[in-house]
Amino acid sequence: MNRWVYLHFPHLLLDYQLALQPPEQSRYPHALLESHAARRTLVQANQTALQAGIKLGMADVLASTLAPNLRVHSYSQAQEKRVITQLAQVIYQDIAQIVLYPPQGLLCEVRSLVRLRGGYDAVVARLRSRVEQWPLRYCLSSGYSPLVAKLLAEAASPIISHDREAVQQAIAALPITYSGLAAVHIEKLYNVGFTSVGDLLKRPRAEIGVRFGRAVMNYMAELSGDFKPPQAFYHPPDKFDEKVELTSEVSSWGQLLFPLKRLLQQAESFLQSHQWSTRALVIRAHHRQGPATQVPIQFAHAVWQQNDLLQLCQLHLERQQLRQPVLALSIGLQRPESRQAKSTELLAGAPSADDQLSALVSRLQARLGEQSVQSVCYNDDWRPERQGRIQPWQQGQKQQPLKQQRPCWLLPQVQPIDRQQWQLQWGPERIVSGWWDAQPIRRDYYIAVDKAQRQGWIFHSQQGWYLHGWFS
Amino acid sequence: MAGLARGLTLGAAVAQDKRPAALHCISNFSFLRGASHPHELVERACELGYQALAITDECSVAGVVRAYVAARDKPLRLIIGSEFHVPELGVFIVLTRNRQGYAQLCQLITTARNRCKKGDYRVSLADFLGTLPDCNLLWRLPQSCYELADIEQSVTALKQHYPSRLWLAYGRHYHAYDADNYRRYQQLSQAHYVPVAAVCEVCYHQPKRHTLHDVLVAIRQRQPIDSQVAQLKPNQDYCLRSPSELTSCYPEAWLAQTIGIAKQCCFCLSELRYEYPAELVPEGRTATDYLRELTYTGAAIRFPQGLRSDVQAKLEKELTLIAQLGYEYFFLTIHDIVQFAQQRGILYQGRGSAANSVVCYCLQITAVNPDQIDVLFERFISAERDEPPDIDVDFEHERREEVIQYIYKKYGRHRAALAATVIRYRLRSALRDVGKALGFHEQELSHYLRQIDRRDGQQSWQEQLAEKFPGLQASYRGRCLLKLTQSILGFPRHLSQHVGGFVIAATQLTDLVPVENASMPERTVIQWDKDDLETLHLIKVDVLALGMLTALRKMFALVKQHHQRDLNLANIVQEDAAVYSMLQRADSIGVFQIESRAQMNMLPRLRPTTFYDLVVQIAIVRPGPIQGDMVHPYLRRRAGIEPVTFPSEAVREVLQRTLGVPIFQEQVIKLAMVAAGFSGGEADQLRRAMANWKSSGELRQFETKLIAGMRERGYSDEFAQRIFQQICGFGEYGFPESHSASFANLAYASAWLKCYYPAAFYCGLLNSLPMGFYSASQLIQDAKRHHINVLPIDIQHSQWHHQLESGQHGLQLRLGLRLVKGLSQSVTEKLLSQRPKGGFQHLQQLRSFGLGGADLHKLAAADALQALSGHRHESQWQSLALQVEQLPLFAEAGGPKSNAASYDLQALPLPPPAEFQDVAVDYKTTGVSVRRHPIALLREQQGLTGYKLASELAQCRHKQLVRVAGLVTCRQRPGTASGVTFVTLEDETGLVNVVIWQQTARSFRQAFLTAQLLKVKGVVEIHGDVIHVIAGHLEDGTEQLAQLGVAANRSRDFH
Repeated sequence: MNRWVYLHFPHLLLDYQLALQPPEQSRYPHALLESHAARRTLVQANQTALQAGIKLGMADVLASTLAPNLRVHSYSQAQEKRVITQLAQVIYQDIAQIVLYPPQGLLCEVRSLVRLRGGYDAVVARLRSRVEQWPLRYCLSSGYSPLVAKLLAEAASPIISHDREAVQQAIAALPITYSGLAAVHIEKLYNVGFTSVGDLLKRPRAEIGVRFGRAVMNYMAELSGDFKPPQAFYHPPDKFDEKVELTSEVSSWGQLLFPLKRLLQQAESFLQSHQWSTRALVIRAHHRQGPATQVPIQFAHAVWQQNDLLQLCQLHLERQQLRQPVLALSIGLQRPESRQAKSTELLAGAPSADDQLSALVSRLQARLGEQSVQSVCYNDDWRPERQGRIQPWQQGQKQQPLKQQRPCWLLPQVQPIDRQQWQLQWGPERIVSGWWDAQPIRRDYYIAVDKAQRQGWIFHSQQGWYLHGWFS
Repeated sequence: MAGLARGLTLGAAVAQDKRPAALHCISNFSFLRGASHPHELVERACELGYQALAITDECSVAGVVRAYVAARDKPLRLIIGSEFHVPELGVFIVLTRNRQGYAQLCQLITTARNRCKKGDYRVSLADFLGTLPDCNLLWRLPQSCYELADIEQSVTALKQHYPSRLWLAYGRHYHAYDADNYRRYQQLSQAHYVPVAAVCEVCYHQPKRHTLHDVLVAIRQRQPIDSQVAQLKPNQDYCLRSPSELTSCYPEAWLAQTIGIAKQCCFCLSELRYEYPAELVPEGRTATDYLRELTYTGAAIRFPQGLRSDVQAKLEKELTLIAQLGYEYFFLTIHDIVQFAQQRGILYQGRGSAANSVVCYCLQITAVNPDQIDVLFERFISAERDEPPDIDVDFEHERREEVIQYIYKKYGRHRAALAATVIRYRLRSALRDVGKALGFHEQELSHYLRQIDRRDGQQSWQEQLAEKFPGLQASYRGRCLLKLTQSILGFPRHLSQHVGGFVIAATQLTDLVPVENASMPERTVIQWDKDDLETLHLIKVDVLALGMLTALRKMFALVKQHHQRDLNLANIVQEDAAVYSMLQRADSIGVFQIESRAQMNMLPRLRPTTFYDLVVQIAIVRPGPIQGDMVHPYLRRRAGIEPVTFPSEAVREVLQRTLGVPIFQEQVIKLAMVAAGFSGGEADQLRRAMANWKSSGELRQFETKLIAGMRERGYSDEFAQRIFQQICGFGEYGFPESHSASFANLAYASAWLKCYYPAAFYCGLLNSLPMGFYSASQLIQDAKRHHINVLPIDIQHSQWHHQLESGQHGLQLRLGLRLVKGLSQSVTEKLLSQRPKGGFQHLQQLRSFGLGGADLHKLAAADALQALSGHRHESQWQSLALQVEQLPLFAEAGGPKSNAASYDLQALPLPPPAEFQDVAVDYKTTGVSVRRHPIALLREQQGLTGYKLASELAQCRHKQLVRVAGLVTCRQRPGTASGVTFVTLEDETGLVNVVIWQQTARSFRQAFLTAQLLKVKGVVEIHGDVIHVIAGHLEDGTEQLAQLGVAANRSRDFH
């Protein structure tokens, strides 16, 4: 019996990205590019690109000469790892024992399912139909050891069979270049005339060990299944999503306070046990009919204690109205994060000024909405109207000091003035800048007082004289 | 108060000339800081009526010569200076007052730069104390706020060392803090009695350059411009201002100070005098005398039968001219260097206009016999043109370092350094850098660049881009990109080292020019390039490296060893018919200069029969004559199809020896003089412009003048236009006759050796790689075609280098272990020195003689151990078992007989590699194979039925449809043949020249660009000995090759 099945997705990230786009995109050649220092080579390509003569490992310059309409994106291993994890989650519905081989492989233990599903082929068929819900190119192979299944799938010469012998033959016929050994070993083996994995397997292991070292010897043991490296099976992520059924229908948020407290208590212990905190959760009120009412809540800083959670939830809920009676309440924690990232003070003393500010902002955001809390920040630009900017408040932003003497009050719109009404005190400060974004200015600024002895900031440009701000 | 008072009186004294002076200007030689060329600053200053302009690049005088040239005939005093950023103290501007001051400044720059790696410098206050007694110091205070007390000590120290030579340099550029600044300067001045001078900081010559200046800032920071706004200057007032603006901006007294300072700075670069190293002449002798003696001693050796009277007359004329111009030391210096090379047995050859003189022949600087090409002697150094003599000396590339070390040792590092080469922005780098600064994406820029054909003479690059990307022209950012790229073109980017031009000083090099570190360790460069040196009449000696000289020396040695014939460059039989007949057949692989694909095509057409034909052959396959459309007229006239005519008697004199067709650079310049009326000076400018054509469009200015001048003198417009095109072509790769003649000498020598001692020829070449046009494999294939038996690498017979062995049919070429990739030379040579008479006995012996496990394995992989351990698989199997150092106990017990490795083999023998596998691994481990050609193997496997052999093409009908296949050894797309690519295919019988037109290339793009094995269907064209296949259909056969396991990627593509 071949206990293992391996799935290899050679173009996983590109296929996945294209799957999220309209299908006509696939008519264009697409490829993913990886940069090593100055060299940039293609690592994945779609069918259209491959048909245009593009090969993996090609330099991007050559590839775009071959297919001038080639669309190149950059490859990211981290992204691909996320995709493979998501795939594991999909397959987990059918198969309990999955091992991640990031970034492009999944190993499944199938022996335990054969009886349940009524045969080896049925297990594989089910797996295939599950995977094929996504338009991904893949190769699936059986194997009596994880390594065997992996190599056959990666070499694109798969065997799907429960028969051990068939797999043995296939693995023996596998060219040595697909052995998965380090390039240096492959070269050495090739150099003594070993062109297939079988050539290697028929030699006594000791003989090989003397020449090619322990690594190759271990490899042989792993291939035959004599050595079974421990496999780290996939577990679905720990997450918190709990629901409480209410004993009676409830029609106001006030009446939900108690069950809410209970749920938050549980949430606190969950977070506590993982040493996590959270920045967002969603409260769902389930009704007899129709979708649940969802209230998403964002925290300005990470929290985990029931009190903190409750305080903010209450603030949010006070603004909500229940349109239907509620039967059940659930809470899903989102964006849990490790607390270690944040340096914890040894003693839970007085909260720092930063924390106090965050807490205040969090409250304000809860009351007014996230977009309503904004702050002023400084822009590096010589053009006065571009030096200040207002943007939604962000965690951890720092105010930069202004570098020049500028009026306290800058007019939103410059006003034409009569130069005769003003007496120049100081100047000019000449600003000729901003050509790069097609909004250049060319002005001589002066500090000047008007007839009412108010000190203003005025400038002269080709268009004439203008008032731009007030010092007093 | 005394200092201030004196300053004020000075101001009053010079009141009659109130024209302003700019004392702090950086040019674009302050790399990525200044946004104007030195000459632009000079010209603008003249326009504005300045009386003086100081070029004060940052710790550099690299740009001053350019400024000097521009200011030479103008009413502007050029002041030489430099600025230094002193940590915590702001900027010091040093201005030289006189010749001594200039030397002091050069010394300071040298000191500051030698502390750091290339491109950097470091100074502190101490460097300025007591080192610059003949310079003025202008001090720009640091921007940041400071307490007067903080700089109290510095002020005192500076005042003490610069009595009445120290000023505070106040610059007002209309900032918010101007008033504060003014107060600070005034306070400091009053507190310490240091006068203030009004000194603007000038970074570009006119306001509209401020955009480029902003871009330079972004390039320096390697960030897009909009993220670097804080680093940008807020306005465009860092330009040269008009006198009226200056008066309204600064107090009059401060302006007067500035003018006063300028008046004190009287140094001019024309004062620099080159002094030759005196030790070359024995004491009590004059240089003229000594040179004459050496020349005549040499003449006795060169002309053992005595000097012919005409030659002697020439010699005398040359000596007189040398004496008149004072160039004796130059010739003596080179003579000294080549003497050294001769003593060491290093082969060399001089070239250049002055090299082909009788004097140089007698001094053994060159081996070009004046009997052969006496026509050349009209070109020498010319008295009226006032240009320094030009002699480049090529040395063996493997041994040039010895010559360089000799120069350093003889003259010392303080007296000898390399000339600089100014690396400038060219289109590719300019568009990239400007584009990135404007926030364009790297890939987008590469895309644009790929669409530009820089050899397109009709359309400028902007027009090409505008046509292909209309959107670019339509967007504001796109227009900025085009405009700014154009203005940054030709900007200097950094200084690099000249390939071999040494400047040697009589005493201290730093008296003349600062010296800085090059990127190569132990190398120093001066801050001027060859044009600067030429302008100032400073002499450089070119010590260059040439691979062919190495090869020739090795060939001569082999001929001596195996044929007992003592050959050298001067005694090879001249004008040998067999040699020329070989060349006429285009049998020139490995022959110096005429081995390229294009040259090989020309050989059967030009059919050289004399030395001078070779001189022409070398020069004619170059962009100059090709762009000027001079090749075909020359060939027609040579073949007698077209009469040899001259448009005038004057032109006849210039063009007689090339059948009335201009071929050489000198002829074209001479034509400009006799046919277009250029003066000597203008012709000289033309020559310089040709040298700089690559980076700037200077040549265009000569077009009108040339064509008008020729029309006036009755020449056709069409002829004039062609001459101009040729000038443009020369600009890219100018080739003067004098160089061609020296190269022809080496070409002839190598051809002669190929003809008479082919085994020595290939062996010498192979032992000198990398050099030349062909790889070891291609050379070995050629050797085999010339019936040289090539023997494989063998541990029992090979040396490190390739060598010749006698065999049944003459000498055979035994490949050396140097081919084995990654093998260590010293270890191998040590091993070979211990090789017993009867050869090694077993592998263990190699290990015990000190060969490492890894090296042993490399030998096994290269199949060099056949004799000891059988075929390649077995050798490696055994060597792997010996990789780990055996413990002595086991080694003894095991012994060679009961060796674990051989025991294994008996149990389960390894299959021998198939021939194609061996061939593949041969290429992989050594880059060559003496087994059958991969194409032959494919043919044997029926993989190429219906394909002709290269050797069969000659028997084909003209225009016959054929199929050919071969390994691609070269893809060449000459800029001169638009849209055509020449591909060379190699099969087991020879080379096939394939011509691929653009349309075919496009239709079979993938095969065209990437195939290693190319299969071509096409029409064969036969013109005499020239055979081409014009491709109609291409197929990529690389897959077939891969099935054999051969990866033969060894093509030279699109170079």
